[in-house]
Amino acid sequence: MGNLRRLVLDVLKPLEPSIVELVQLLADLEGVDGVNISIYEIDRRVENAKVTIEGHNLIYDAVAHVIEENGGAIHSVDEVAAGKLLIEDVITPQD
Amino acid sequence: MARPNNGRLAQHVNNMREYSQIAGTAQIARRYLAMNAFDGVLTTIGVLMGSYLGGVRDAAIVIRTGVATSIAMGVSGLWGAYLTEAAERQRELTELENTMLTDLARTKIGRASRLAVVVVAVVDGLAPFIAALTVLIPLFASPLIGNILIGYALSLAVALLSLFGLGLFLGHISGRSLVGYGLRTLIAGLVSIALSILVGGVEH
Repeated sequence: MGNLRRLVLDVLKPLEPSIVELVQLLADLEGVDGVNISIYEIDRRVENAKVTIEGHNLIYDAVAHVIEENGGAIHSVDEVAAGKLLIEDVITPQD
Repeated sequence: MARPNNGRLAQHVNNMREYSQIAGTAQIARRYLAMNAFDGVLTTIGVLMGSYLGGVRDAAIVIRTGVATSIAMGVSGLWGAYLTEAAERQRELTELENTMLTDLARTKIGRASRLAVVVVAVVDGLAPFIAALTVLIPLFASPLIGNILIGYALSLAVALLSLFGLGLFLGHISGRSLVGYGLRTLIAGLVSIALSILVGGVEH
């Protein structure tokens, strides 16, 4: 199976633990080269986060486990990339 | 992340710190510590003044009364805090679960919440118990001193000193005048002693 190189997740999470903590826990995972978390909506108790993870061999279950362990819920997997090369989304005339 | 791997103990301490941060345990425990130690000292002042004004001159009786009172305060603190804190924490967790639409019991948040209940209950139970026993120390030593009146005086002095110390602790937390807070808690002890003498005097 091809190695997973990029994951973009839509996550709903409580305000604590903070994204500072979560981003470091995700970055600690094996096969991860870098992580970015950006908040696009914030509520009284929870926040919506876009989690972007890139690496040479990501393990989806491990990523999901860290997010869930920290109280987060993955609402959707918005983008994935796998293989030897990191292929970006191609803009077509239909877009 | 550059997190040093100092073994399991360090990991455990890190987890505790993280749980405390998630559940806000440290602030609540600190509040309970000050509040209940204050209660413990003042209640023991009551026991001492009641015994002194009641003419008790046998140190063993005062010690038994004092120890029994401190045990009761400890149990009361432990039970009361456990029940109230558990109820409050469960409510908070349920509200968060309803917002998240997930079960958080087995997550870090659930564990932090359960740990907070235990820590707060233990602090709430031990604070008045230890504070009360500390005040009684001179009475334990009164057979050596030979005069129970000196024991009473020393115990009251320890109580006032403990109150001043608690005030310093609160002053340190607030980041304001240490002595100012110390004097405020000290005055509570003096007022308690004065009122006991007044009421005791009226009864006699």
